[in-house]
Amino acid sequence: MSMIEVQDLTKEFKVYRTKPGALGSLLSLFSGEHRRIRAVDGISFSVKKGECIGFIGPNGAGKSTTIKMLSGILHPSRGRVSVMGASPQHRRKYVAQNLGIVFGQRTQLWWDLPLRDSYEILRKMYRLEEKAYHRFLHRYHDLLSIGDFLETPVRKLSLGQRMRADLAAALIHDPPILFLDEPTIGLDVMAKESIRSFLREINREEKKTILLTTHDMDDIERLAARVVMINHGRIILDGCLETLRERIGLPSMIEVHYREVPRLARLDRVERVKAEGKNVTVHYDRNRISPPALLAELNRWGEPVDIRTKEPEIEEVIRRLYGEQADPRSKTAPAR
Amino acid sequence: MVCLELFKKSFSRHLQYRAAHLINNIGSLVFGFMYIAIWQGVLEGKEHSSPYSVTEMTHYMAATQSLLMLSVFLTVGLDIPPAVRNGSISLQMARPVHYFLYVTSQEAGRLFYNLFFRSLPIALVFAVTVGYPLPDDPSTWLWGAVSVTLGVLIGLNLFYLIGISSCWTLEISGAHFINMTLMFALGGQMVPLDLLPSPLAGIALHFPFSGLIYYPVMVWLEKLPVVEALIVPLFWGVLLTLFNLWLTGWARRKLEVQGG
Amino acid sequence: MKLYFTLVGASIRARMQYKFNFLFSTFSYGLIMVTDFLMLAAILLRFDDIRGWSIYEVGVLYGISSASMSLYRVVAAEIHDFERYMVEGEFDSLLIRPVSPLTLLLSRNLDLNRIGGVVQGLSILGISLSHLTALPTFFWLLWYLPVALGTGLIISVSLGLMTATLAFWTHRIREFQVFTLYAPTNAANYPVSIYPGWLKWIFFTVLPVAFMNYLPATFLLQKGGEWYLLVVSPMAALLFAGVAFSFWRFGIRHYHSTGS
Repeated sequence: MSMIEVQDLTKEFKVYRTKPGALGSLLSLFSGEHRRIRAVDGISFSVKKGECIGFIGPNGAGKSTTIKMLSGILHPSRGRVSVMGASPQHRRKYVAQNLGIVFGQRTQLWWDLPLRDSYEILRKMYRLEEKAYHRFLHRYHDLLSIGDFLETPVRKLSLGQRMRADLAAALIHDPPILFLDEPTIGLDVMAKESIRSFLREINREEKKTILLTTHDMDDIERLAARVVMINHGRIILDGCLETLRERIGLPSMIEVHYREVPRLARLDRVERVKAEGKNVTVHYDRNRISPPALLAELNRWGEPVDIRTKEPEIEEVIRRLYGEQADPRSKTAPAR
Repeated sequence: MVCLELFKKSFSRHLQYRAAHLINNIGSLVFGFMYIAIWQGVLEGKEHSSPYSVTEMTHYMAATQSLLMLSVFLTVGLDIPPAVRNGSISLQMARPVHYFLYVTSQEAGRLFYNLFFRSLPIALVFAVTVGYPLPDDPSTWLWGAVSVTLGVLIGLNLFYLIGISSCWTLEISGAHFINMTLMFALGGQMVPLDLLPSPLAGIALHFPFSGLIYYPVMVWLEKLPVVEALIVPLFWGVLLTLFNLWLTGWARRKLEVQGG
Repeated sequence: MKLYFTLVGASIRARMQYKFNFLFSTFSYGLIMVTDFLMLAAILLRFDDIRGWSIYEVGVLYGISSASMSLYRVVAAEIHDFERYMVEGEFDSLLIRPVSPLTLLLSRNLDLNRIGGVVQGLSILGISLSHLTALPTFFWLLWYLPVALGTGLIISVSLGLMTATLAFWTHRIREFQVFTLYAPTNAANYPVSIYPGWLKWIFFTVLPVAFMNYLPATFLLQKGGEWYLLVVSPMAALLFAGVAFSFWRFGIRHYHSTGS
């Protein structure tokens, strides 16, 4: 069963040349000076029940515009969206009943109130029955331990607690679909891990359909069976995680600081080696050489004092995709 | 000269908002026309029992609206409270320029901007609609400027007083409200102070608020002898400045002890 | 409706976490309004009337308009501060709920500090009424008061909503509010008949504050109005509310197509 259906979705914005100040912005309404930018450019995909999709791409690629169109905040310029068989544009409230949304950067809870009050409000907002509400409190205490801070005002919660509270809030009406915008942003490793295992749990056990955007490749690896990559408003990759791996590998980086200036030797199966005095930086692909194997090689060059590894970043992943696709700019159609 | 630089920077910073302020000026003008209409309604047929003719009162209200932008509508707490809250006040106090001068010269830059983009446009519109008082005697221009400057000085000091009090109280919105009320009522914004009932008029004429609007307008309209109109504002201007300098020293010591 | 009371209850609890500050700002906000009226009283104490309206008659107008304006600030605090939703991009989070954004805004926050203004407005109204008991239409007046306050509230909220809608295009609305909200509701404190023709025209059409108190009062206080004005005024308010609401809907459609 298809939960989300997107066809040829396009969003164009008129960008006005605005002058500063209220009057300026008002006047610029009447002057025709503007250009069109296409934030989302004819994308199509469909999501089946129980899928967990990682929606990735650099900032300004069109991810959040797409999410906003899926949730009825923005109306498309062209194309069709259907969520649970309904258009978010025409039946916003119906779609809202079936959606849970979390914006990682800003909370949707009532800042000055104890967490419990926020849940009471949402409960009324989504017309939840007493029994269902109690089931919710119990279930999410089990999964996210929200019971530990139900009486704490939201402004006093730690970032990790707040994110757990926000996740539970988005699920209070038991929606079949969940949109998560950067759900792990700013969290420490422990908190990230607890959020991820929670999401995996509700994805597997309750067959919740999840669409998440993230900058963290770990989120994708741990959660998303399918990856949709978007750039300049277009889908440049849509497939399972393995497809992504095949296309780009698992780009990683390791930095080694040696006690003495290292004796560099030839290194197979890595991409780039940069040496500066006692420091060596190696770009490599985890699919082709495992970190322990690489370290063993690097140990032969001298005695390492400090080793730092860096996880692949979305930007790097994108760069690689483009490496094989030539310049992306030449592909986008000129704005009409 | 650091203060001059702060003054200039603040002036040009506000230049970018002049379109928005133009809209706000329309609001100020409507308020002005309202007060003029109220007084016309009140004084019509009763001019004989009033020390002000309808024309004089119209001029009084027009002058008031343009003066408000210089001595009354200042930045809440002169932006000191946020600096106290985020701790940057300690840094600013440590600078070689005295904190009082640092804060007031920035605000003075904004007021200088207000003069050109708020007071003058407002005065200009009144000039072509209901007439704006322009004194014949050249010395009135000079004394008018002196008395407006004193008004600005008092305004800066009152706002500074409330701003710096946030070193002790943190929350100043109540104090700000009360200060604004007193400025309007005892400053002579709607009613020339000498028209208030007698005991209140006596008090109001000797309070610092009278120097914000009432006395400058009186000088401008040549309704009072210059000396009489300058003595009260001068007294308060000096006293409040000295008091604020002393208070700043106290605040500095408090910050040094408690580290903000 | 049940949701509304839950939300309102929650916002009251949130506010009560800062009790002292709440009492202080309630008090000081009320003080501003009372001082403003005292100034008017000082004028009329000396000059008896304003175009034939006594202090108590003006007091009725004043009480109705200031109480309903303050009531608007209480119940529609988030509409008044709507620019925050545009500037900080919080409006999206209202559009993902199965409830209309207007309901959410109205129920999100009650600005109880402004209750002080409502109390002061009603007190002025009460005192003025107690001096008007000799009017032949006195009982009409008493009966009509709830309607007048309702009319005033509807007009104030509509003005606020229209101004807020501008934020979909301009983001900032504070500068507009002086002209579209503060000036007209202040003007309505006095009989609209005193204003020059163009202002009167504005107060009967685009910013129709004349309907909240002046027009029905011309009948109730026997200033030459007819009885049907008691019906016309609330109708006009509802009509205006309809216009404001359509404008708001238009603004939301614009937001749907452009985003922030």
